[in-house]
Parts: sequence; C-alpha cells; structure tokens
Amino acid sequence: MLKSQHHRTRIIWVALILLAVVLIAFALGLSIGPAQSGLRSAFSALFSGTESDSVLHSIVWRIRFPRVLLAMFVGATLSLGGLVFQALLRNPLAEPFILGVSGGSAIGAIIGILLGLSRFPGICFTSFLGSLGTLALILLMSTGSSILRKDSLLLSGVMVNAFCSAIIMFLVSITQDARLHNIIFWLMGDLSATDLPQVVILGAILIPCFIFVFVLSHAMNLMLMGKDMALTMGINIKAVTIALLMVTSFMVSATVSFSGLVGFVGLVIPHLLRLVLGPDHRSLVPACIFGGAAYLVLCDLLARTLPQQGEMPAGVITALIGAPLFIILLKKSRK
Amino acid sequence: MTKILATLISAITILLASDLPLTAKTAEDQLGREIRVPDDPRRVIALAPSITEIIFALGQQERLIGVTQYSNYPAEAATRPKVGSYVRLDLERIVALDPDLCLAIKDGNPKETIDRLQSLDIPVFAVNPHNLESMLQTIQKVGDILNASQKATTLVADMRSRIQRVETLVSKTAHRPRVFIQIGISPIVSAGSNTFIDELINRAGGINVAAGPSAYPHFSREQVLALTPDVLIITSMARSGGYEKAKADWSRLADMPAVRQKRIHTVDSDLFDRPSPRLLEALEILTRLLHPELFKEGL
Repeated sequence: MLKSQHHRTRIIWVALILLAVVLIAFALGLSIGPAQSGLRSAFSALFSGTESDSVLHSIVWRIRFPRVLLAMFVGATLSLGGLVFQALLRNPLAEPFILGVSGGSAIGAIIGILLGLSRFPGICFTSFLGSLGTLALILLMSTGSSILRKDSLLLSGVMVNAFCSAIIMFLVSITQDARLHNIIFWLMGDLSATDLPQVVILGAILIPCFIFVFVLSHAMNLMLMGKDMALTMGINIKAVTIALLMVTSFMVSATVSFSGLVGFVGLVIPHLLRLVLGPDHRSLVPACIFGGAAYLVLCDLLARTLPQQGEMPAGVITALIGAPLFIILLKKSRK
Repeated sequence: MTKILATLISAITILLASDLPLTAKTAEDQLGREIRVPDDPRRVIALAPSITEIIFALGQQERLIGVTQYSNYPAEAATRPKVGSYVRLDLERIVALDPDLCLAIKDGNPKETIDRLQSLDIPVFAVNPHNLESMLQTIQKVGDILNASQKATTLVADMRSRIQRVETLVSKTAHRPRVFIQIGISPIVSAGSNTFIDELINRAGGINVAAGPSAYPHFSREQVLALTPDVLIITSMARSGGYEKAKADWSRLADMPAVRQKRIHTVDSDLFDRPSPRLLEALEILTRLLHPELFKEGL
C-alpha cells in the first residue's frame, strides 16, 4: 500500500520534471529558425492574435508548430518503442531502427509512395505491413534456440537491416523520376513536410498506443523478473508479448511513414532514463514518452540551424549521437 | 476641383494597394488553375532558376525578392535572398520574405510545398514548360502577370525567329548524326523522348540515340558503345568539374564513332537543362556541334 503510494508520487514527479523539459524544448523549437526572429518576438507572436506581425505569426504557428509537434510525437514513439523492445526481448541493445523494424516500415512506405497512395491511411498501412514482416522475420530467426541470446537477436537485426537496405536501394534505383530526391531525403529522417491536420491524425493514432503501453507497464516489470514470477501474478505472457510487439510496430510504422528513418532515439533515451530512474517501467514509460519528445525536438533544432543553407535531415543528428553510444553500450555489455 | 478629387482618390488607392492586395486579378496558370494574383506583384519569389532567368529576361527583376539556391544567371540573381533549392524549398524562408506572389514550376517543385504555401495564403502561379513551344507560352504568361506583356511578346517573337533560323539551316542537309547527350556522369544518365534535350537534338538536326519511353534513362558504358553515337556531348555540372575526366574516359574507347572522329564535347548544363530563354543558345550551340559543315560560310 505504502509502496504503491510511493510509486505514484514518483511517477508524478518524473512526469512533471520531464514535462518541463518538453516545454522548454517546445519553446526553443518554436522560436528558433532560419528566419531569424529572436526569442522575444517569437514568444510575442506565439501568444498574440493574428493581427500583430502576420508573417512571424504564420511562421511560428503554421510552419514551426506542426514540425515541433511532429518531432515530439516521433521522438516519443521511437523512444517508447526502444523501451518496449528492450523489455520484451530482454536485450538492452534492441531498438526499432537497429532491429530493422524501421527498415521494414520504410520498404512498405516506399512501395506505398511508388504506388501513389495517400499518406494516410494508404502509406501508413503498407508501412505497417512492412514492419510486421520484418518483426516476424527477426523473431523467427532469433527464437529457435532462445530469444534471450543477445548476439543472435542483434545479428538477426543486422541481417534484416542489410536486406531491407538492399531492397530500399533496389526500389530507389528503379525509380527514375523527381520523386527520387524526396524519397532519399525522407529516408534519412525528415521532419519538414508536415502540416497541422496530418500531425493531428498522427497524434490521434499514437496517443491511444502510448496509453496502452502504459497500462501494460506493470506487466512488463513482472515479465522482466522472470517467466514464473509473471505466471504466478496471472500474466498471460504470450498475449501480452504479442500485443505489445504489435502495438509498438504499429506506432513505429506510423511515424516512419511520416518522417522516414530516425535512428537510435530508442536507444539513447531509455538508457539515459534507466540510469536516472532505475528499472521500473511504470515510471520509465511516461519518462520515455516525454524524454524522447524533448530529445527529438532538440535534435531537429540542430538539424534546422546547423547548415548555412537549407537544412539537414534530423535522422543524421540522431545517428551521429546514437551510433557511438551504441558502440559504447555494446562494449560494456560484453564485459 | 474634380481633378483634385480624382488625384486624391487615386493617391488613396495607391496607398491602400501598397499594403493590402485590394486589387487582384484572376489568371489561369499552366496547370489550368484559376489563381488570384495581385494586379501589380511587387514581391515575387521565383521557385526555380529557370523562372529567375525568365524574370530577368523580361526586365522585371526589381519585383524579384527571392530566388532558389542555384539561381546563378544573370550574376545579379545570385545576390537575391535564397529560399532553398527548387526541389527542397525552405518554407520558412519563403514566408519570412512576405511575398505577394510565388512562381512555381510543375516539373521540380514538390507539390506538398506548393499546397502548403497556398494554405498560408500565398498565391502560387505554376508554370509547366515541357517543350519549346510551351516554354514560349510560359514566358508570355509570366510577362502577362508581371505587367510586361509587350516585352514578353517581343522576346517570344525574337525566340521564334531564332528557332526558325535553325530550322532553315538544318533543312539544307539530309545528314542526321547519331547523338548521345550525357547529363549524368555516374551513373551515366541521358534524356529520353519528350524531354527538352530530345527536342533540341531533333531541331538541331540529330538523332537522339537515347530516345525511349523513360525520361531520364540510365546506361552502362557498354550500352552507350552499342548505340554507336557519332557525337557525344557531356553537359558539365560546372560545380563538380568531373566531366573532363568523363571525357578522358570515353576517349579511350576508340571503337566509338564519336571518339574516332574526335567529336566529344562538353557544354554548359545550365543552358541545356533550364527551360529559360537561354535554351535557344543551347539550340544554336548544339546545331554548330552537330553540323559544323553548315557554318563554314558563316551563319
């Protein structure tokens, strides 16, 4: 009784602190951009009506706002996806991008683009099929003996990823028109092409998934303690595992169809937060949602402001940060 | 008294018009859309280098407040603020310049960006030049909405007479050399049927050996050799300079007629791949390269 009280306060505190971080990232994301405006004028544009400086107002609200919102949703999803995969596969290095689930979604999405489908529901659906396909492939390859073996899971992921890249390159090289340029940029993780209605659709898809994962966070805790423990607590391990994997793949493929391949977010954020908060998923789930949201907003801010001319895809920044961390973690886990 | 009143009213009208687009006209763009454009656009952004060139050729550059990354002609164009490249437009920079009109090109500008600009209440007039004839219409259209119709008519008439001159010249000979124009070096890319380059080759009195349904087909070195081109033209992506090496690579393949006859040339790609008035320069250069014999006595 006392313990659960303690947990609840802890969750609330963690959520509040991270919410503050998200708000700061949100404010920065809205106020910084190539059209130099300065913090103060951006803020006044934020809270003023349309009649003030209409140019700045539409830049802040109609260009930066949807983009920041998209970065938040994508960051939250990928970070949560990483957390779920790490818990279910009991592998600290599991992550949607590393496992090839993102790659599978990308194949599905590119096929959708080439077929000329609309982003929603068309491309979202082909992307989801792609992610399910790769997930099944990875599980099939790595289960056989035991899902616990870290190396076999990672190796399967690497191979599935390599295969996905080959298919993506194949699709890209048979496409000889103007869409090519967009596909390539999108593949590297691009958050620029969104307007508000589309982000709202994405949010409506993702938020129920977030809640679903949060509801199952206690079950994840118990499953991590071992099969017997989970069974005695009345958890249907198979059902929970399948439900979580499906929902996670669904979330990830939805974000991939919007923003391409943004890698390593699901590695960096859960690890960072586990160091601070410990292994309890009831606080880790909300923490990963907020932490991932803030992280990707800041990465995208760098991607928008670092280049002198134009912008770079946000996926470049997340990979530059995430890949070295992955190597460090891999080395640590070998010891 | 009436005169003073009239002056006053017109002064007020001008004052109002300078701030609010009270006076707008409807024009049909080359995608067949009815677009509300200001009567006298003062803040125009050209969303492709070719459109920038057209605006300068029409002498309307004082209206131009923004261009895209590779807008390098004429030199003055490069001094205008940049709004990203024409395939990756920077929405925020465009909006920040507060344009009253954007001129877009169908083949290149992403449709999503154009749609979003319109949702931000920025009028976007799209042009769609896909061959020489429609390019002339593009120039006339752009002239019309920038209140330079007369200038456009003169320019178009001049371009027509240059096309006519080439046609007359080429009709003097029945010889039609086989031409391969290389627009991409690695991989080797050429231009198929229904492209500007295909049309230029035909008008200049040549046969496009890359003609085919694919607009920008890829080739292997072997395939190019099998096409036995008499003339091989490499469009220089001036930025990289790799075309000199490409030229040297081809020169080793002595079996190709173009190599034997020493007819490998490099040309400025900006002339050949931009649907702007300078395409006529490209046509004249190409005619000279394909039919040097016609120019012996001078044009």
